[in-house]
Amino acid sequence: MPIRLSIPLVALALVLIVGFAAGRRESTGDPTVIKVVSSLPRSGSARPQTDQIVNGIKLAFKEIGYRIELTDPVTQQKTPYRIDYFDLDDATAAAGQFTIEQEIANANQARMDPDVMAYIGTYNSGAAKVSMPILNRANLLMVSPANTAERLTKPDTNNRERHEPGCYRPSGVVNYCRVVPTDDLQSELSALWIRDLGCKKIYILDDNQTYGQGISNNVESFAKKYGFEVLGHQSIDSKSLEFSSMMTTIKGLKPDLIYFGGTTQSKAGQLFKDMVKVGMTCPMMGPDGCFEQVMADSASPDVFEKAKFYATFGGLPIDALKTLGGRGGEFIRGYKEEYGKDPLEAYSSYGYECGLVVIEALRQAGKKDRDAIRVAALTKIKNFVGATGTWSFDEQGDTTNQTMSGNEVAVTTNDKGERTAAYKFVKLLKK
Amino acid sequence: MLLAVEPALWNSLTQYLINGLTFGALIALIALGYTMVYGIVELINFAHGDLFMLGSFASLSLLALLGFGGLGFTATMTDASSFVIAGVLIGCAILSVLFCAGLNFAVEYTVYRPLRNAPKLAPLVSAIGVSFIFMNAGLFWGGPQDVNFPDLISNDNLLGKDAAIRITYKDVLIIAVTVPLMLALTIFVKVTRLGKAMRATAQNPTAASLMGIDTNFVISATFVIGGALAGAASLIYAVSMNTISYQMGFQNGLYAFTAAVLGGIGRIPGAVLGGLIIGLVRSFGSAFVGEMWVNALVFGILIIILIFRPTGLLGTPVREKV
Amino acid sequence: MADAVKKPFRLGWEPALFLMLIAFPFLPIFESLFFTTTQRSLGDQMPTVFIFAILALGLNVVVGYTGILHLGIAAFFAIGAYTAGILTTAAYSFELPFYVALIVGPILAALLGLLLGAPTLRLRGDYLALVTLGFGEVTKSALTNLQSITAGTQGLGPVPPPALPGLDLDWASDYRPFYFLTLGILIAVVLLLRNIESSRLGRAWVALREDELAANCMGLNTAKLKLAAFALGSGLAGLAGVLYATRLTSTSEPNAYDFNRSIFMICCLILGGLGNRLGVLLGVFILVGFDNILCPIIDAQIQQAFPASGGKIYLQFTGWRLFVFGLALILMMRFRPEGIIPSCRMKHELHPNELVPVTVPGDRA
Repeated sequence: MPIRLSIPLVALALVLIVGFAAGRRESTGDPTVIKVVSSLPRSGSARPQTDQIVNGIKLAFKEIGYRIELTDPVTQQKTPYRIDYFDLDDATAAAGQFTIEQEIANANQARMDPDVMAYIGTYNSGAAKVSMPILNRANLLMVSPANTAERLTKPDTNNRERHEPGCYRPSGVVNYCRVVPTDDLQSELSALWIRDLGCKKIYILDDNQTYGQGISNNVESFAKKYGFEVLGHQSIDSKSLEFSSMMTTIKGLKPDLIYFGGTTQSKAGQLFKDMVKVGMTCPMMGPDGCFEQVMADSASPDVFEKAKFYATFGGLPIDALKTLGGRGGEFIRGYKEEYGKDPLEAYSSYGYECGLVVIEALRQAGKKDRDAIRVAALTKIKNFVGATGTWSFDEQGDTTNQTMSGNEVAVTTNDKGERTAAYKFVKLLKK
Repeated sequence: MLLAVEPALWNSLTQYLINGLTFGALIALIALGYTMVYGIVELINFAHGDLFMLGSFASLSLLALLGFGGLGFTATMTDASSFVIAGVLIGCAILSVLFCAGLNFAVEYTVYRPLRNAPKLAPLVSAIGVSFIFMNAGLFWGGPQDVNFPDLISNDNLLGKDAAIRITYKDVLIIAVTVPLMLALTIFVKVTRLGKAMRATAQNPTAASLMGIDTNFVISATFVIGGALAGAASLIYAVSMNTISYQMGFQNGLYAFTAAVLGGIGRIPGAVLGGLIIGLVRSFGSAFVGEMWVNALVFGILIIILIFRPTGLLGTPVREKV
Repeated sequence: MADAVKKPFRLGWEPALFLMLIAFPFLPIFESLFFTTTQRSLGDQMPTVFIFAILALGLNVVVGYTGILHLGIAAFFAIGAYTAGILTTAAYSFELPFYVALIVGPILAALLGLLLGAPTLRLRGDYLALVTLGFGEVTKSALTNLQSITAGTQGLGPVPPPALPGLDLDWASDYRPFYFLTLGILIAVVLLLRNIESSRLGRAWVALREDELAANCMGLNTAKLKLAAFALGSGLAGLAGVLYATRLTSTSEPNAYDFNRSIFMICCLILGGLGNRLGVLLGVFILVGFDNILCPIIDAQIQQAFPASGGKIYLQFTGWRLFVFGLALILMMRFRPEGIIPSCRMKHELHPNELVPVTVPGDRA
């Protein structure tokens, strides 16, 4: 059969010839570099919070000059490495918060790069759900500064979701750990705090996401356990623009407090504003996802004077860290020196803590090997003196740290008469 | 027995009605921009919602400039007298109306006008492009998060502090601005020379230009009026909802577009009717079906109405031209 | 066939393109292509491009062939993805193999397409466009709210890799199995469409697009034709959805199937060339490539070069994404509304004064 020459044919031939002629180059990575990536929502309103988490991580690496010398535990051979830190974004500007697609892309990028030895993230528990199985198969250590959903590491006590947490660990080993206490503790302490505030009837809202729904379900069951009335529980559409009709309905039920399981990104500010708008004055409480300055900025100070907004936090706020001794004060001083201002967002210290954990795991492993580093993080980090106290990882990768705090948005007036709203530490929460 | 229903329920029903009507009136105001442009050039102006969004950022920037709290700054002005507030509001209104009208004119002149004789899909796709650019501009302007718009108007209940039904100054403002605007627009299109020219151009552009009507001018005027309405809506929306974000143009635009089609696109009373229906469906749907289902309800009703009335509620059946 | 004149074999662009794609994993040149991109990372991205190409080809059946503006294709994409999620994940007791989902997903999506199309296809252009948009929103809402079925915003996952009978492949760390699976399905879809285009059905669709009334007068059943296009388009979108969920190892969240996704696919069609298969493929390669491959690379480079630039969204390349898209669409419409590789009919329609020979569809393939 005769073949007629055509441009596509020439193009094809050209590609094939050039492609093969170029020869194969090996890509086994750079033997002098250890890469650490973080995957946090860098677009959207979580940005101020994650900026400080990233600053915290960078500070930890900066303190060792982005260089580390690893001593192999067997051969005692010393090898110097440079640490390259990459700050990946798991959110898109269009979504304003993390997207599952982006988080999977980040996890795959880390998995494919042979130099990546640790993955710091995620911020949202829903994001961790999708990247955990991917990184688990790659045997890559994952340290989260902010995931609090307990189902990521603990089985459901009611046996409803029996495939959890096993489905996040397809290879059977544990590669995920976190430096914050989990939601089962946070929700119980929230319920106790609500009781201390003297509230008898509460209404529960959630944002319909992994984290928000998980914690609000917990709060509901603890609320019933501690004997107060749950008037209703409803999910919202976090894409919705306003909630005044829903708040009108809730107003009719006359709750003493509204609990919102969700984040600032899933409309905590708008809910609070609309609650005040329909004329309610009862307080609203949210979990640690609402504990950021963006929440206090999301409404005028007036609004925060008409009703109180409380937020629990799975750890200690920056102010309380100073009193703790250990490396907490050190962190605050170092942060101020490096960035010229105090770390304001509570999670920045947990970012720093993650950096410290990664460095410690690398030192303990003594070699650039994903499996050794993973094992070191989960078995060798015991009684670790970090920025948030002295704590250990248990065999599931959860921290033994159990300190929590209650905070409220308070309005202050400066000497120029300008009023600003910001979070204020109210009390330490204990069982 | 309806009358046997306890008064508390009547009160909440009235409240839902008020909430629905005020939100619906806002949507109707945006929908007018869609429907006017569609009526005259048969273009679904996808960028209209985003124009509305930019208008509210323009107001916010002016407020920041005047020191009344703006982007990233949330002090309120409780001590400013009502006279000052009125002045500031009027300033914002003039700015946002001029800004949106001017921007819409510029876009019409540079993007849509060269495509006047192109097939229908070309300006539609261009409108999507303009919408993207506007959204990007809004993203740079206000950032990716929800932005608080200062509380310029009191939120107190006009009927007394403890009255069962709440009507606030904000609700009054919405109605006081939207209803006269809609009436004025209807009269304008019915009575004035330009309005007549608009209707003629909508009917048949070629014939209109043969009768001596400068169709390009008429189309530009339509875009300017539509933009001005979006500007007015943007300020009222921002003042009453107190939250703006670069994405609100999309969501509100979708509602407004739906409202316009629901009422019969191209018909001014249709847009108003559609807007009010959407407001009421949202309000009552949230109360009786659940907040989560509001969007599904709005669009579900839209599909059902279009199945039974294929050209919208007030639209007249059109025979395809041969 | 001894009497038939032997036509010389002439390689067209389409087969050449696919031959290049088949050859890609074997070519050593891409080992370190540019910046930090390696053959592995690029190869890892390609299945997503192929999947979106299938979705775009499905949309093209509706928009390109019959001229109906469809603004809700993402809904059918979602239905495919969630079918895969329900049939294969551990959250349900079905846990069926991948190929069952591959068959059920498209069928379900096609049926839903019929269900939507049957009552609404008599609507005029823009009203029909709005109904498709509304259907997309309703589907998204339903997926979010029917939590007992779809797990709400958390998405169903992890979707297991497609265990094909008789093959033991490493789906997790090797990109090639997925690459060839999706490429193979894409080629099959292209062949199917090529044959349909030149069939009686394909020609009837073109007649319908050009002039519905005339087509009706010629005795074509326009309602049936539109329904057929709707079903085929939705089915292909469902197919893409099944592959997408399998590729992503999760159904993702309902917001991933919103109006933006539908509009993005329309942009691919228009950029490449509405109605032309090769054009559609090119459009997808350009836009998805820009979004999924180029943007992250450039952003990583910027971050490495200017570590201090973080924080300002206009200093990130992704921050300009919408702007670039918007400008591209506007310029395209102004200067080349028929797309980069137009179908000859479109070109003729948009430049009526230039003499372009109109050929039978399928002739260019």
